[in-house]
Amino acid sequence: MSIIIRGARLIDPSKQLDQVTDLHIKDSHIQAIGNLTGVRAASDIDAKGMILSPSFVDLHTCLRDLNQIQKGTIASETQAAASAGFTHLCPSPDTQPCSDAGSVISMIKNKVAAAGFCDLLPVAALTKDLKGTQLSNMESLSRAGCIGFSNASYDISDNTVLLRCYEYAATFGLKVFVQAQDQQLGDGHMHAGPTATRMGLDGIPVVAETLSISRHLQFMQHTGVSGHFNQLTSAAGVALIRQAKAQGINITADVGIAHLCFTDTAIEGYRSQYHVQPPLRAESDRKALLAGIKDGTLDAICSAHQPHESAAKCAPFAATATGMAIYDMLVPLIQGLVAAEDLTWALAIQALSSNSATIALGKTTSLAIGEEANLTLIDPSHPWTLNSSSQLSRGTNQALANQQLKARVKLTIKGGLTSYIM
Amino acid sequence: MSNLADLQLTKSGELRHFLTPEGLDRLMLERILDTADSFVVVGNQEVKKVPLLRGRTVVNLFFENSTRTRSTFELAAKRLSADVLTLDIKTSATSKGESLLDTLQNLRAMHSDMFVVRHGDSGAAHFIASQVTPDVAIINAGDGRHAHPTQAMLDMLTIRRNKGHFESLSVAIVGDILHSRVARDQIHALKTLGCSDIRLVGPNTLMPQAIDSMGVTTHNNMDSGIDGVDVVIMLRLQTERMDSAFLPSAGEYFRLYGLTTERLAQAKPDAIVMHPGPINRGIEIESAVADGPQSMILNQVGYGIALRMAVMSMAMSGQMQQRQAQANTPSSLTGKLRP
Repeated sequence: MSIIIRGARLIDPSKQLDQVTDLHIKDSHIQAIGNLTGVRAASDIDAKGMILSPSFVDLHTCLRDLNQIQKGTIASETQAAASAGFTHLCPSPDTQPCSDAGSVISMIKNKVAAAGFCDLLPVAALTKDLKGTQLSNMESLSRAGCIGFSNASYDISDNTVLLRCYEYAATFGLKVFVQAQDQQLGDGHMHAGPTATRMGLDGIPVVAETLSISRHLQFMQHTGVSGHFNQLTSAAGVALIRQAKAQGINITADVGIAHLCFTDTAIEGYRSQYHVQPPLRAESDRKALLAGIKDGTLDAICSAHQPHESAAKCAPFAATATGMAIYDMLVPLIQGLVAAEDLTWALAIQALSSNSATIALGKTTSLAIGEEANLTLIDPSHPWTLNSSSQLSRGTNQALANQQLKARVKLTIKGGLTSYIM
Repeated sequence: MSNLADLQLTKSGELRHFLTPEGLDRLMLERILDTADSFVVVGNQEVKKVPLLRGRTVVNLFFENSTRTRSTFELAAKRLSADVLTLDIKTSATSKGESLLDTLQNLRAMHSDMFVVRHGDSGAAHFIASQVTPDVAIINAGDGRHAHPTQAMLDMLTIRRNKGHFESLSVAIVGDILHSRVARDQIHALKTLGCSDIRLVGPNTLMPQAIDSMGVTTHNNMDSGIDGVDVVIMLRLQTERMDSAFLPSAGEYFRLYGLTTERLAQAKPDAIVMHPGPINRGIEIESAVADGPQSMILNQVGYGIALRMAVMSMAMSGQMQQRQAQANTPSSLTGKLRP
């Protein structure tokens, strides 16, 4: 198969590439980059005004399926991921049943492979059934292809168990993923601030995050485990990560796209579509998260995609399920940040592709001759409306439903093959 | 908050749901108080009924236990001549797994005209009014920690009937602000009605985060908090707060924040004392004050019926107008779920 993409703006921050030119894919690999006038291919795409980048790698997502097909299936959610430019996904282990056994991982892998839209880089449970009492079979799960271990949103409150998790992971050089939120202080429904106070909703203070980050950093430093923090939310959290990196602790961190775009005030009127965990915080936190992306404190942007059926969000706010279906909105949200000059395309692409790939795959994906073609082509000015006929995720919890949006993925190529075309 | 006004008012500005005083303007709050004033006399008549809600069905939906709020709503509806159904939630379908959504839609299908809702989740009444049954008038009888608008407004009625105005008043709200749905609505109502000196008094463990963003001052010291005030509103302290580490003991709380005769002397000589009830004698207030000449606690209960009659009649009237207006337009309100 041979594809030429002509006239796109090629952005690959890992190669300091930002240039309008042509790219040729042949035999699943990047054959040529540059002026390809006169060169022919089976598929010839005019991509003037579009952005071509290495494909995206999602460090945190929920694909549902198994016992949650009412929320989404692996086929629907991986297709939605491909339509957002992702080729590689790291699903959270809080599946039902829990991703704490090789058999569950294998079942998910088979379903993802059968759907064919994305490749799986599973994160398995750190403890059995995420209960925080018994270690999971980490070494066996690692052999089964798991790239890291996480206790998802379930805090391990017993320090002895947590220390043993880290010691065991250190024994085999395994990476630990952390969603940093203290369980007791995190027992609320939104950011503790003026909006929560006025609306009478239980607040989650910033210290719920910073306390947990500090605690995990101590264990990471003590055991030498390579750690990755998922979904930072606060300015104080970013400051702790910055300080830890300066001290040479072996960590990386990401932020969910929703936390870069929305704040707690979006919940005004008890809008359950904005009920997420960890919570959306204040504007000063959002600005600090953006600054963290800019200065490299935060390495990556993840989707934190969590599709739900409509009934899950149709109840009094506190009784609604947490999470947003992100995939259909991801590229328009990035475009919004670029338009507001909060981010550049280059920074966003670095955080979604090369940096995420380095964390999950141990190597960067790039636009370089000879590399396997894993690419995302975005039309940043494409107008469209997000609704039930245009969305691919089965999740109805789309915060921007029925809104006019701008920007859409035109084409995603995984391993040289088209995994999504608009 | 214009969206709160939009939700609670008809297009012509009449009340159709009463969820919180937040978002309503001074004119509307004064209309509620004026209407309530006119109903105060009904309770004193030999025949305590007016026919304003004759033929209308009011359903009391109390998902949380309540004695006085529930009974005053029931009395208010009956005095307005409504047909009243009080649903015992403990034996209702919700305990058999039916969702709140389905329960309400079934009640709506029975042609109910008004739901009086008390629910443990903040925003429950808002959810019902905006997404479940927008064509049924919703009166919020307390939702989580968020709002208890009829209690707050009956407190405003009590203040106005005693002080005549709000502008130059100093009002102290004392106690468990954190868990109080009444305090938030009192603050909204007082501010809208022109009161600019609102003081919240209590320890930091019972003070909500960033509460000063609501335009109030906070005081950890009771003596300075009530110094020179015209109104002291005491809040009920749930005894379980001691078990969940908000406070060390009832004794220490009373010593620091209990309203005694000596302490009340810090307020203006003609200051009034209010309490939403039920009171804990010897924990937040001493009996000499609760039963004393400055106490308005029992007056509040009486005004509660009049105030509830006022908002029920106003919201029913507004909702009927809205239904009529919508019936006259091609796309009538279906009450289906909005996305």
